[in-house]
Amino acid sequence: MRRWIGDSIRVRLSLGLSAAILVVAAVAGVFSFLGARDEANELQDETLQQVATLLAQVSVPDERLDQLGTATAGDEFKLLVQTLGAATLAAGDLPLRADLGEGFHTLQIGGVAYRVLVKKTLDGQRIAVSQSQSLRDEIAREGALRTLLPLLILLPVLLWVVADLVRRLLAPVTDLAAEIEGRQVEALHPMVSEGLPTEIQPFVEAINRLLARVAQSVEVQRRFIADAAHELRSPLTALSLQAERLERAEMSDTARKRLQILSEGIARGRHLLEQLLNLARVRADTQAPQAGVSVDQVLRRALADVLPLAEARQIDIGLLPGPDLCLPVAEIDLLLIVKNLVENAVRYTPEGGQVDVSVSLFEGLAQIAVEDNGPGIAIEERERVFDAFYRVLGSEQTGSGLGLTIVRAAVERLGGKMVLTDAARFAQGLRASVWLPGSR
Amino acid sequence: MRVLLVEDDGMIGAAVQDALRDESYAVDWIKNGSSALTTLATQHYDLVLLDLGLPGQDGMQVLERLRQGNNPVPVLVITARDGLEDRVRGLDLGADDYVLKPFQMKELLARMRAVVRRKGGQGKPQLSNGLLTLDPVQHEVTVLGQAPVALSHREFSLLQALMLRPGAILSRAELEDRVYGWGEEVESNAIEFLIHALRKKIGAPNIKNVRGVGWLVFKAV
Repeated sequence: MRRWIGDSIRVRLSLGLSAAILVVAAVAGVFSFLGARDEANELQDETLQQVATLLAQVSVPDERLDQLGTATAGDEFKLLVQTLGAATLAAGDLPLRADLGEGFHTLQIGGVAYRVLVKKTLDGQRIAVSQSQSLRDEIAREGALRTLLPLLILLPVLLWVVADLVRRLLAPVTDLAAEIEGRQVEALHPMVSEGLPTEIQPFVEAINRLLARVAQSVEVQRRFIADAAHELRSPLTALSLQAERLERAEMSDTARKRLQILSEGIARGRHLLEQLLNLARVRADTQAPQAGVSVDQVLRRALADVLPLAEARQIDIGLLPGPDLCLPVAEIDLLLIVKNLVENAVRYTPEGGQVDVSVSLFEGLAQIAVEDNGPGIAIEERERVFDAFYRVLGSEQTGSGLGLTIVRAAVERLGGKMVLTDAARFAQGLRASVWLPGSR
Repeated sequence: MRVLLVEDDGMIGAAVQDALRDESYAVDWIKNGSSALTTLATQHYDLVLLDLGLPGQDGMQVLERLRQGNNPVPVLVITARDGLEDRVRGLDLGADDYVLKPFQMKELLARMRAVVRRKGGQGKPQLSNGLLTLDPVQHEVTVLGQAPVALSHREFSLLQALMLRPGAILSRAELEDRVYGWGEEVESNAIEFLIHALRKKIGAPNIKNVRGVGWLVFKAV
């Protein structure tokens, strides 16, 4: 968690900005609070002043002054007006010293603070206008708090806006990460840098350059595999021609048996070589979209190719009734997919087994499924079998180990998906389904 | 029949030369493109086996020069490149057929025969997959080691369709197209009926049914 907070620009930005806003708001709040309080105090002093000036000019008799004080009692602005130096204190009058100088005083009387203004009237009397300090403070505080209110309401809004803004601004980065994360292994095309913030552009361009270099090195490797396989063709041809020639020579039965084994080995080499070339082919750059190719035609070719092996292993191979689809893919890709799937099924199903091929259309996706009643593949191995040269333990078949790798590469190139599940039509076995985007 | 073999790989060259001699071809073997052109200019051959990956002038250049010089000799290209463009380019430049490495001698011989037959127009019209031989003149089929069997018109058409492309699976619709003319009434099980009749004559294993797909005769093995 700590690490996450420390590493996330978004969280750091949000926290930093929020903290800054809080500090600024606090300082601004304190200043405006103090300012508003002073202002309120001044205002009230002015009120005292005005009342005193008024009274000083009109020369009100003492008893009327007391009434004035009572009249304002209970009011928020309760003002006490009294004549200084009077012989007796009227009810409610404050015990003020007679020698108080003119002007404002803040006095403690009976444990209560008062603000007192002393003023000389026209007829030489001195009057005092007083107000409770706590009342004044309350008014000042209320006024000051009122100025803080908008700030207090806006603060959470501002924090939310900041968090949202940061999230929005960083969204391109998140999207970019998601785009890279969601890529297929072989998708090395550059990322789109248009519409991204200028700060991220250099980063994206650097990644694009890296992608280009990786793509180049992958291409070099692919080429190397293809070239190596091509180069191997000539010596392998020489070898197989010589073996073929040897068959015509006179030899003992033992020698002939051994030659037979040798020839099988050469055939395996040829098969592996072809599969290597196929793999290089399906991993090559994407071809231009093709006009439609009939799945039925391709299936028939694939079945015809695999038939000799099926015959040798006495496997009943067949196509279930279904629609003939036309898919916008390269014929060679589709052929490699179907042929490898069927060949795998035939190869790994015990003799006398059954292999069913089916084609169906579901929500615009074409599904080609090859199902067998062989031993199947354990769930934990179903991902690994796609690795090149991986072989399921215990199988005695001598495949190239590249079949499913080729199928997956071809399927991904066509924008499809490949799934291995338990057989649905048989008690046990494997169902290999390929989903391809297509149209009827 | 005189054949010019242009191949720079010693082992392949030797094996092919020996095998061709075993088949009673007269074979001259040359290891580079320039000498091939010189030899072809002075000597008549019935067929050229041309490897594409030659030192000096490569096979494509040899082929181009050859055709520019209006030499009509049948050329069978041997190539390790199987890119579609390569094949198309080779055929465009005037190759009659191509064989992809690694190939088997049987395949090379079969293709040589086919090329010569096409070029010379003197090909034997019989179709064969090694086990069955179909005689289109007599409408007879011969199972290896047995006496010829006469076929009905439709049986012959059906077997001919299958034997034109041994190893390829033909669907019922395709067979109906080949056996019946336009506007002819076709019974729903007519093809099964014909297959049944044919199997009786030539043995069931000779026509293989692939469940849900169609029928085929096996390729020569």
